[in-house]
Amino acid sequence: MLLFKSTAHALFVWARENFYLPVSRGNFQLKPAHVTHGKRAWYLVILLFFTSMTTANAATVNGTVTGADNTPLAGVSVTLKGGTAGASTNAEGKYSVTVPDLKGTLIFSFIGYSTLEMAINGRGTVNVNLTETSNQLNDVVVVGYGRQKKVNLVGSVSTVNVDEKLTNRAVPNISSGLTGLVPGLSAVQNSGMAGNNRASLVIRGLGTVNGGSGPLIVVDGMPDVDINRINVNDIETISVLKDATSASVYGSRAANGVILITTRTGKGQRKTSLNYTGNMSLTAPTRGMDFMDDYARGLTLHQRRAAVSTLQGNQLFKNGTIDQWMALSMIDPVRYPNTDWWDVIMQNGSYQNHNVSASGGNESSNFFASVGVKDENGLQINNSYRQYNARFNFDAKVKDNMNVGFKFNGNWSDYKYALAEGFTDPDPANTAGNDMQYAIAGILPYDPKTGYFGGVMAYGEDPQAYNPYTLYINNLNSTNRQEATANLYYDWSPIKGLTARVDYNLNYYNQFRFGTPTPNQAYNFQTNSFGSRVYVGANAGISNFTNTGYKTLFNARTTYNTKIGENHDLTGLFVYSEEFWKDRFQGASRNDRLYPTLSEVDAALTDIQSTGGNSSVEGLRSYIGRLNYVGYNKYLLEANFRIDGSSKFLEGSRYGFFPSVAVGWRFTEEDFINKFTGSFLSSGKFRASYGSLGNNSGVDRYEQQETLNTLLYVINGGVQRGFVNNKMINRFLSWETTTVFNAGLDLAFFNNRLTTAIDYYDRLTTGMNRPSQFSILLTGAYSPAPRVNIGDLRNRGAEIDVNWRDRAGKIQYGVGVNASYNRNNLEKWNQFLGRGTTFIGMPYHYVYSYIDRGIAQTWQDVYNAVPQGAQPGDILREDLNGDGRITSDDQKAFRNQQEDRPSTNFALNGSLAYKGFDLVVLIQGAAGRKDYWINNFNNTNFGTQRYASTYNHLYLPWSWENRDGEWPRLGGSGNNRASTTFWLDDMSYLRVKNVQLGYTIPPKLLKRFGVTNLRLVGSAENLATLTKFRGLDPEGQGNSNSLYPINKSYSIAINLAF
Amino acid sequence: MNKVKMNYKALIGCFLIGTTLLISGCRKELLNQLPTTELAQELFWNNEADATIALMGAYAATRAVFDRDYYLDGHGEYTRVRGTSATNGNILRGDAYQGANYNPTGYGASFDKYYRYLYGAVNRTNYVIDNINRRLLPTAKGASLTNLETILAEARLLRGMVYFRLISMWGDVPYFGKEVFDNTEVSMLPRTSIKNVRDSILADFDYAIAKLPVKGQGIGRSGRPAAVAFRGKLHLFWGSWKKNGWPELTGFEKNSAEAQASFTAAAADFKSVINDFGLTLYKNGEPGDIDALGQAQILPNYYELFTPKANGNPEMIMVFTHLGIPANPSQGEELMRDFSGRTIEGSQCWVSPRYEIADRYQLISTGDFAPKMVQLNPSTNTNARTTANAAVNPNSYAGRDYRMKSTLLWDFEKTIGLTSLKSIGFSPFIYQTWAANVTINGVNYISYNTDGTNSGYVFRKFVRNYEGLGRSEGDYAYPVMRLADVYLMYAEATNEVSGPQADAVDVVNKIRRRGNLPELQAAKFGSYQAFFDAIEQERIVELVAEGQRGFDLRRWRAIERVWGPPGSAGVWRQDTWGANMQRYYQNTDDRTYQQNYIFRIPPGERDINPNLTQNTPWF
Repeated sequence: MLLFKSTAHALFVWARENFYLPVSRGNFQLKPAHVTHGKRAWYLVILLFFTSMTTANAATVNGTVTGADNTPLAGVSVTLKGGTAGASTNAEGKYSVTVPDLKGTLIFSFIGYSTLEMAINGRGTVNVNLTETSNQLNDVVVVGYGRQKKVNLVGSVSTVNVDEKLTNRAVPNISSGLTGLVPGLSAVQNSGMAGNNRASLVIRGLGTVNGGSGPLIVVDGMPDVDINRINVNDIETISVLKDATSASVYGSRAANGVILITTRTGKGQRKTSLNYTGNMSLTAPTRGMDFMDDYARGLTLHQRRAAVSTLQGNQLFKNGTIDQWMALSMIDPVRYPNTDWWDVIMQNGSYQNHNVSASGGNESSNFFASVGVKDENGLQINNSYRQYNARFNFDAKVKDNMNVGFKFNGNWSDYKYALAEGFTDPDPANTAGNDMQYAIAGILPYDPKTGYFGGVMAYGEDPQAYNPYTLYINNLNSTNRQEATANLYYDWSPIKGLTARVDYNLNYYNQFRFGTPTPNQAYNFQTNSFGSRVYVGANAGISNFTNTGYKTLFNARTTYNTKIGENHDLTGLFVYSEEFWKDRFQGASRNDRLYPTLSEVDAALTDIQSTGGNSSVEGLRSYIGRLNYVGYNKYLLEANFRIDGSSKFLEGSRYGFFPSVAVGWRFTEEDFINKFTGSFLSSGKFRASYGSLGNNSGVDRYEQQETLNTLLYVINGGVQRGFVNNKMINRFLSWETTTVFNAGLDLAFFNNRLTTAIDYYDRLTTGMNRPSQFSILLTGAYSPAPRVNIGDLRNRGAEIDVNWRDRAGKIQYGVGVNASYNRNNLEKWNQFLGRGTTFIGMPYHYVYSYIDRGIAQTWQDVYNAVPQGAQPGDILREDLNGDGRITSDDQKAFRNQQEDRPSTNFALNGSLAYKGFDLVVLIQGAAGRKDYWINNFNNTNFGTQRYASTYNHLYLPWSWENRDGEWPRLGGSGNNRASTTFWLDDMSYLRVKNVQLGYTIPPKLLKRFGVTNLRLVGSAENLATLTKFRGLDPEGQGNSNSLYPINKSYSIAINLAF
Repeated sequence: MNKVKMNYKALIGCFLIGTTLLISGCRKELLNQLPTTELAQELFWNNEADATIALMGAYAATRAVFDRDYYLDGHGEYTRVRGTSATNGNILRGDAYQGANYNPTGYGASFDKYYRYLYGAVNRTNYVIDNINRRLLPTAKGASLTNLETILAEARLLRGMVYFRLISMWGDVPYFGKEVFDNTEVSMLPRTSIKNVRDSILADFDYAIAKLPVKGQGIGRSGRPAAVAFRGKLHLFWGSWKKNGWPELTGFEKNSAEAQASFTAAAADFKSVINDFGLTLYKNGEPGDIDALGQAQILPNYYELFTPKANGNPEMIMVFTHLGIPANPSQGEELMRDFSGRTIEGSQCWVSPRYEIADRYQLISTGDFAPKMVQLNPSTNTNARTTANAAVNPNSYAGRDYRMKSTLLWDFEKTIGLTSLKSIGFSPFIYQTWAANVTINGVNYISYNTDGTNSGYVFRKFVRNYEGLGRSEGDYAYPVMRLADVYLMYAEATNEVSGPQADAVDVVNKIRRRGNLPELQAAKFGSYQAFFDAIEQERIVELVAEGQRGFDLRRWRAIERVWGPPGSAGVWRQDTWGANMQRYYQNTDDRTYQQNYIFRIPPGERDINPNLTQNTPWF
């Protein structure tokens, strides 16, 4: 075995450094004096050895610490076991530590390497070789309710080790930092808005159509945690559980995969270390909207558009108005402004993250403590998000066979924003959410001299045109949220192999949102009077909303591990679990705020007020079991089950059973295979799993209870109680079940330099929960219609992850490529499906589009096409069914194109290190998605007044003078805005997601300041994007109103350790 | 052996720990969680109080399909509805009316949602009716019995109204009169013949007439006159359909004898409403006082009738009530938001008068039409404002029917502007200005601001002129049956039976009196046709923006009369300046006319239910 590996290794080394002796290598063995560093090194070692020998009782131990390929490791912590002495290695990997005598044991620890204990045994020189963790047989992976050796893993689990590569990036939260890191996990950021820039996470494609398609997030054993509120610096590892066998221990909520997050501890550390990580960055939009800062030309576009159908005399904007504006705007920008709104309402964003942590421990206890702050200023004025995090993790040994541990995590955030999506708001009740398209250039944002906010001034302009600046100044919302999570565990191993453990978790949150708009009104600087648009009325009040709630989790767990004979390793796990949620809401608002600085509801008059409040609870009871068998170190078997009972369902349909089974075969352990493959294949494992998972996320807490709803009425001017029966219960509604088959192959070549993991999966979601198709005779009363388990959706896909790590001379480098392909197919739907983007045998939300023939250039083009009310300059559509009319039946279904998400995701990670320098590059992309580029800001049929034209409106529309125009004519046929292939863009993209250049200051320079590590990093996010998409961002899923760009950011990060 | 023993020990340990934790940790009722704000169904239906509560739910659901009928006036030629304030998904905010087409043509396919909510109201009323019949009535006695029967009668009246609305739009419709417990009970229902549906509605109305008290139990609950009036209206519509035919409704045959019988029954019912309950027009039908042109301190009674001040007056035979406190859930109406412009609490002016209504208002002096106004563009014609009879000359509106000033704002007519629940003083309406500074007689005003009208007029009708309530917080009890309508329907029914009758002319004159118009000249009721025209004229003016016109045009088969026959040039709607705004029925084919006479059965339902037939023009 050893020989094979060495030989394989040697072949490579030979090609590179043929002056070294190949036989003396091997990076997997822990041999203290295994140092062969050419002749010079030998002399050195001998010299050192003798030096140390002569110092007898002076008790100084020297040595060199090496890593893979015997390269010296800098910054390795060297401590005396049970003592206080400690040191760390210098750039040449050398250390010198003073010890009381030469009898103790030294502990060598370094991030990314396994900790090694070495008895001094009277030697003055102790040279060691450390093994990288990732290549180690003992490498463990966090799985549900435990850890497993990576080599014995049979499920499909991807892990992310959270190191500086991730924490130094200027990503505002973990979810958006996961983009491109894990094959099969798509993390899509839809907006760069501070506080609203989380990425939506989807594992292995859309698992269900009922809305709840995100993975379950479990942090330190507690499910349902907001991943974005975790301090990224506190995280040690992230495990992404993708298949049934890894996820089925989370049963009813695992259908869309599980993400396990484990936070840091001080375990294994001997020396207390203090770390500071800081990150400061500037952000700019990746792409913005080119609003036209020229009102006269904007009005000309109105004229042009109106000329299509309105007599000149009846047009709203006269030539005189426009000419006057054009002329006077050059000398009087207050009365004739040409506002560049994008400039006014945007700012340079910034992002800062500072984090201080301390960790340490000894044999009986360890701790990790950290405090962090992140401070984001969005690209939009007055959009900011600040979050503080604190964490304290502590483990202690009560007795030899008893441990107790405590984890506390608190976070506090302060979020300021104008509208739910920054510039816009999808809530139809908030009409300001649509107003950005009415931000005409002819409005002065604000006049500091008078203190007034501008409104429309041009004759003919709609007084409702919009001054966004005033809204972002005077109409802000603030949300404060505090969360505290405490976790206590106690474990006891009464006999060998048996451990019992109880966990209690409490997650409490309190959220307070308040809105305190300041009265203001549009001012007309030409007439020196207030215009009629009242942005915020004089009776503006205060609104307060409080959400509080908690979740508790109680787990009782026993594990039993035993060996039967030499070769049969058996582990059993049983868990009983209870989860309980309670959420409360209370809101109140009053009109007429007493004074603009006040924000609580008592600071307003009581004449007009309103209140609301409600609460809801949910319970979940579960039984979980797992059995692992490892035979002869090569035959692997795992079986899991979980039984979940949820208060969401009625008795009889309440419990779900989710079993799974998996097998694995480490075939490289078989001699008859190893004989042939040993020369290049370091290890190989085949694994397959099959099992079922559940999903209850689409069902509301009380949806299945037969209750009456209120519908009030008024008699004699007073409100009367009114009850109506809204519900018709489907008593048989139950979980949505997903069965997953997964087959994977893990291979490591050339002494683990090249590792690959390939997975194929077939995931069938059955009984998707959807509101049933009720007769229209009932839907007006019984709404929503009762859910039924309605249809089946299959996701098939493959993932590949290839990593190459090696060094060439002094250059260490690594390249990783991961890619995933997913295709979903709607297999069954037991109710009527009309024409649209959902149909049996097709991907969910496939592209269903009219086919365009381009823009009609001449009347002849119009005559050649099927009559469709077009004129030259309009988009012509194909009559696909040949019935001589264009109807909705003329749309074509594209089998291989999806509207919502790409079918293929890929990413390339590259890293390079030379001496103190290191470079990391992450390139990421996607393909297989098409979507329409139709939004409120490229409307060629804008209204007769108040439209915020862009420069595209000036240059792109077709006209007789601009027959190559990219857009149809202004004011043309309404069909120009239909969903035709004309507007259908390929959403494929390739993006340089992250580039990082770091430099580690040589430790010897720092030593006298007591600093063990100082690293400086320059990093850039979203540096460049290649795409054909003409809209804001090809990655996200916006709506026709979306405007907040994705950020491009440049940052400097500092890592400092004492 | 040793190994086995150890495992055994382990198992015991495992078991012990497990049980201890299970016992100590369990929450007993973890999986039985009761809602905190909703009432469990099994706790309800114990007594009359519960029946009343359920009835209130039925009222609210029925209100949702009647209280924005003004949008439906867009199907006529005098009201423009360019959109609605209805919020998608919110039944209390007009969801039933949301998304439909309120133009004079092309609307028939857009009322699927309305259809859905009408059946929603059917279910709500069935719920009350069925549960009272099943659970409470069998054991009820004495006063309790009477009370329950009243509640039942109200619910049946509401159900009758809803089915009446259904048949007057879709003809044959599915009928069910029971509480539904499962989708399969109704999902395959075919359409019931309109005749049978009508008979069921009559049965509901008959029961309501028999059991309802003369006066409803409070403003918002109906009394007997409402049931009688609706039965009369059903007879009148039935008579119209039988007389004029409904060729778009398959299997429906003209029958003049049946028509006559229905008109006779209608006349009898209306007569009963007029005579038997002591009902009077608002303020006895007196016109009230009127301010000078351009002033709006004093407004006629007709204006007040459409403000909350008139809530509870005897003219309102059937209303749906609202409450104006900005509370949640909101009970307010949005008449202000729909009918007025930004000047008034930022309202949106979705509904505005068309220019053509103005010439319909007669002169007080002659009791007949004024000379047709002249449309001039004041931006190009400096004399336009002073030219006699010009639409932009305020003086052209002098001496008109009082209802004109009560209904419309023309150039330089003022109304109270409101912002943030406070008055901002008078604001003059001047077409094609938007919040402009205007000095009138030395006083500076900011002109009325709206982009919602393209005719030169906005509505005053339905718009409050006092402060305190926002645009979505109206507390007006919206009428769905007014005595004035009953008067005109009575006149129409008797005219159909036996031509102009003295008592019919008399009630028409009562309505004209409200506009301070003289009595009808003899020539106006000299013949059936002359009297019919006089009645139609009053219906146009009196009931404008109340959603009646489209129904009238259809039952009279008058679309061709108003807009021209198929294939014709159509008719323009214009503004006071003389600009053409919209042309309707230009070169329109027969099919479109047919589609405007009968609505489309929702095709989504037909996809699921093969038994559901479609109205012929919609195939």
